[in-house]
Amino acid sequence: MQDLLVGFTSVTWQNFVMYAVGLVLIWLAVKKGYEPMLLLPIGFGAILTNLPLSAVLSYGGEPGFLSVLYDAGIRTELFPLLIFIAVGAMIDFGPLFKNPVMIFFGAAAQFGIFATMIIATLPPFNFSLREAASIGIIGAADGPTSIFVANLFAPKYLAAISVAAYSYMSLVPLIQPPVIKLLTTRKERRIHMEYRESNVPQWLKIAFPIVVTAIAGFVAPISVPLIGSLMFGNLIRECGVLERLSSTAQNELAYLVTLLLGITIGSSMTAANFLDLKTLMIMGMGLVAFVFDTAGGVLFAKFVNLFLPARKRINPMIGACGISAFPMSARIVQKLANEEEKGNIILMHAIGSNVSGQVGSVIAGGMVLALVPLLAK
Amino acid sequence: MESLISDLQGASTTVQALAVSAGGLIGVFTTLAVFFLIIAVSNRLGKKSE
Repeated sequence: MQDLLVGFTSVTWQNFVMYAVGLVLIWLAVKKGYEPMLLLPIGFGAILTNLPLSAVLSYGGEPGFLSVLYDAGIRTELFPLLIFIAVGAMIDFGPLFKNPVMIFFGAAAQFGIFATMIIATLPPFNFSLREAASIGIIGAADGPTSIFVANLFAPKYLAAISVAAYSYMSLVPLIQPPVIKLLTTRKERRIHMEYRESNVPQWLKIAFPIVVTAIAGFVAPISVPLIGSLMFGNLIRECGVLERLSSTAQNELAYLVTLLLGITIGSSMTAANFLDLKTLMIMGMGLVAFVFDTAGGVLFAKFVNLFLPARKRINPMIGACGISAFPMSARIVQKLANEEEKGNIILMHAIGSNVSGQVGSVIAGGMVLALVPLLAK
Repeated sequence: MESLISDLQGASTTVQALAVSAGGLIGVFTTLAVFFLIIAVSNRLGKKSE
């Protein structure tokens, strides 16, 4: 009789808390529309994995299907890299080629990664350097990079870091506007920026992903899987002879891997892994990383404006788009510009800055991957 | 360089984080500056050939 009731007798209060966490994630996905493709599978995975004696993780001494997926897709880092191929196939670097100065905002807006990493090492947090780097990388606003780094440096916090990264990415429309408004004047937000339409030669579009991969390979060899996957996807898009592969990468590959990635991350949200004070700290510091990213980009734009003549000044809101949350961040900034002054169109500059953020976040991830092992005890 | 790294290996975690941050930000800016130069030069060449 006891065997029949084993499901009821082995459940703990921590499991119930995790069901609630899973349901909240599903609610955010369904009701609020926040990153539904990821938060819904993550939420359901969290429920699955916390069911008593969960057979999705192991059954009769054999690994369950979610353990198999975890070992094959996360531990090997295959899923984030496949997602990057899909993301690369979706990115149009055209607006950046037309206004290459925007690339520097993709660097400035990585400030949050490093600021948060430093904070995470301070009391009362006292995370190790590897853990702090994994937490800081939430500020890359780039799920695959966060997963990649966390899996190498702090696998026990992978679930918390992934959930924080994707949750805050979906909350960018709520996080960025107050920070931007706090750091800019109304006059600055009303700055107009001229945009000149020009043709980008096809050879540049093809050469760019190859050259970027090669340079990243020399600067930070450990970043090659990340940047190489991203740029491979982009090369498929831009070469002009692989339209079907490009379409497959942007659609079928993206959807399929996202689905498996989400539920597999959810499976790592066991109560034992997730329910501790450090998870709460990680969630809090993820928010700090996004705020510092936005502030870093905006302040850098204001700094650049000090050296520019009045008619060439940059709308500092553009700096906030240097984070990797594409195209959400660019859309928000355009919306803010339009709210300040109807008809102020800065979207193409914002998109240029936003795609730079995608490259910048991967390079920052590569830097962290290269530098931390040199110093960490 | 070797001695700087070995000094940092013995430093506190926060000092190490500061060092990674400085190195990381310099690395990101430098790498993207190289990409900027490549795009700017390519644009110039493209305009000349037109």
